[in-house]
Amino acid sequence: MAGHATVLEDNSFLSRLDHRLLRLERIMALISGFAVFGLMVLAVVSVSGRNALNAPLPGYVDWIEQAMPLIAFLGISYVQRDGGHIRMDIVISRLKGRALWLFELISVLLILLLMLALVWGSWSHFDRSFDFSAPLWSRDSSIDIGIPIWPAKLLAPIAFSVLCARLVLQVWGYGRAFVLGLEHPVAVPLIQDAAAQAAAEADQFERRT
Amino acid sequence: MDTIEIGLWVTAGLLVLVVTGMRVAFAAGLAGLVGLVWIFWAKFGYDPERFGKALTVAVKTAGQVPHSKVASHTLSLIPTFILIGYLAYYAGLTRALFEAAKRWIAWVPGGLAVSTIFATAGFAAVSGASVATSAVFARIAIPEMLSVGYNKRFAAGVVAAGGTLASLIPPSAILVIYAIIVEQDVGKLLLAGFIPGAFSAVIYGLLIVGIAVVFKSVGPPVTGFSWKQRFAALPGALPIVAVILIIICFVYNPFGDKAWGTPTEGGAIGAFIVFCFALVHGMRWPEFKSALLETAKLTAMIFAIIWGVLIYVRFLGFADLPGAFSDWITSLEMSPMLILICILLAYAVLGMFMDAIGMLLLTLPVVYPAVMALNGGETVSAAESAFGMSGPMCAIWFGILVVKMAEFCLITPPIGLNCFVVAGVRPDLSVQDVFKGVTPFFIADALTIALLVAFPGIVLYLPSLAG
Repeated sequence: MAGHATVLEDNSFLSRLDHRLLRLERIMALISGFAVFGLMVLAVVSVSGRNALNAPLPGYVDWIEQAMPLIAFLGISYVQRDGGHIRMDIVISRLKGRALWLFELISVLLILLLMLALVWGSWSHFDRSFDFSAPLWSRDSSIDIGIPIWPAKLLAPIAFSVLCARLVLQVWGYGRAFVLGLEHPVAVPLIQDAAAQAAAEADQFERRT
Repeated sequence: MDTIEIGLWVTAGLLVLVVTGMRVAFAAGLAGLVGLVWIFWAKFGYDPERFGKALTVAVKTAGQVPHSKVASHTLSLIPTFILIGYLAYYAGLTRALFEAAKRWIAWVPGGLAVSTIFATAGFAAVSGASVATSAVFARIAIPEMLSVGYNKRFAAGVVAAGGTLASLIPPSAILVIYAIIVEQDVGKLLLAGFIPGAFSAVIYGLLIVGIAVVFKSVGPPVTGFSWKQRFAALPGALPIVAVILIIICFVYNPFGDKAWGTPTEGGAIGAFIVFCFALVHGMRWPEFKSALLETAKLTAMIFAIIWGVLIYVRFLGFADLPGAFSDWITSLEMSPMLILICILLAYAVLGMFMDAIGMLLLTLPVVYPAVMALNGGETVSAAESAFGMSGPMCAIWFGILVVKMAEFCLITPPIGLNCFVVAGVRPDLSVQDVFKGVTPFFIADALTIALLVAFPGIVLYLPSLAG
């Protein structure tokens, strides 16, 4: 299961920004979750249509392919906020204080560099299929029922831009922690060991059931 | 510097980034991007004026990977399987399964532990989360086992081992990921996981009964359930059985000629059943929203690694590193089986430090072509191959083996994650206690893997039926 939230908050400007961005990230993740649910409904309709009414859903595969970027990209920043992207923490979990913040800062800066490049690259990928003068502004469309592909392509640069904003906040958070030598910085994910994470997850689960 | 040298340098850089704690998805993407820039610039003869051009081409090449690779019908199986897992949390399936298994099996020696194994196997399969399953069952099953006089270490070992049954029994997101990375039939891989997964569960069960018969005080039988009570417990466990069977039938129909549909449809129908069950069990908007958010999170995380690694793979293609590695492996003067065993052992070590999904995605682009080359190539026939199976069958067999290895790592001393988790959830147990308790299962797992290597038929029987 994905990592558990371990981000501290206070009344500082940085923490307020973190909170604002979190609201946007949560909405985007929820849209992505609904898209997964929509995928399920679509398949159920398609299977029952095919078997019960002998009428398969037209463009079923096209719709799924259009929905996939929605599902795959929109939650990316929400995961980064909580430090949920997989990593090997055998070295970094042994570090403390300034050394830890320095490693985290360099790592987040490198990710920011990559994502800025990918915003550029994925935008130009979108740009190639978008044309104001074409019908439906589209230069390419899906194979079966001809849906324009540019909206799905646009999702990558949008989601990556939000991730860049998140990374800027984390650069700020780790940078501040490094400069001031903080012990419990706000707005950045703090390392929790696997057992503590699992215990928190089991707690949460028991409250639910 | 030739392209292979660039490939090696960039791969070494990637390893440094991963070891120093950079998120795997982004480390792979960055390595791929830097590698592409390097290779294109090298093609321009390192001309400083043309660096900008190399950068632009590299960024545009990398920038089209996320959308073009992710917009795929087959990949939609992953979010569906994840949704099943989170909905299963709200459908009350854990306690219901454990209760049903207990009422039916607890009368045999060690019966409560066998019930735990079957309940964890079922829930882990559907939730796909080994570590979380162990954490949850450490709370549900260990207290019950202790209350009837089970040995503490033994009870903890059972729960830690049970969680490892997640990845083979369908629905398994990790097998889908493997199938996509190596471009093999997803349905056949899902089918292939069933027998080894069920086989592991049965081996665990027999081992527990054996231990309980020899050491009477370890796991006393529990009696006193009437047939009425037994049948009353069954409906609660049905969704799990239904999900597993439906996914299998959508890939291969044992009752007729044609499968019921595609794996994606099977996954969606499975999710729908669990969703209805969760609604009946009292799931409302707050829980549903939380299930959707968690699904979105895990999906985004897995997809980030997929496209990140695929950017790196795009670079590897230019550098031809996989080809060079395959040539080197096949030129070694060792038997192919010995090399395969070395590769599996390397996974056992790596798996202790890294999550299974990250480990497979990072290594497969280089290791998989080498294993296929060892067998004689992608299109080799069974008669001419080194391992006695055709190329596609070898791909399935190797997939099941590496996924089983990744699960094996979760209970391997000294850093098997499941054991730490069980100890973390139960303050009265030390990590050493759990490792001692899990030792018989660790040995059984090692033997199971040896059997899967020696008798590939266990893995390949079902996929060969599917044609």
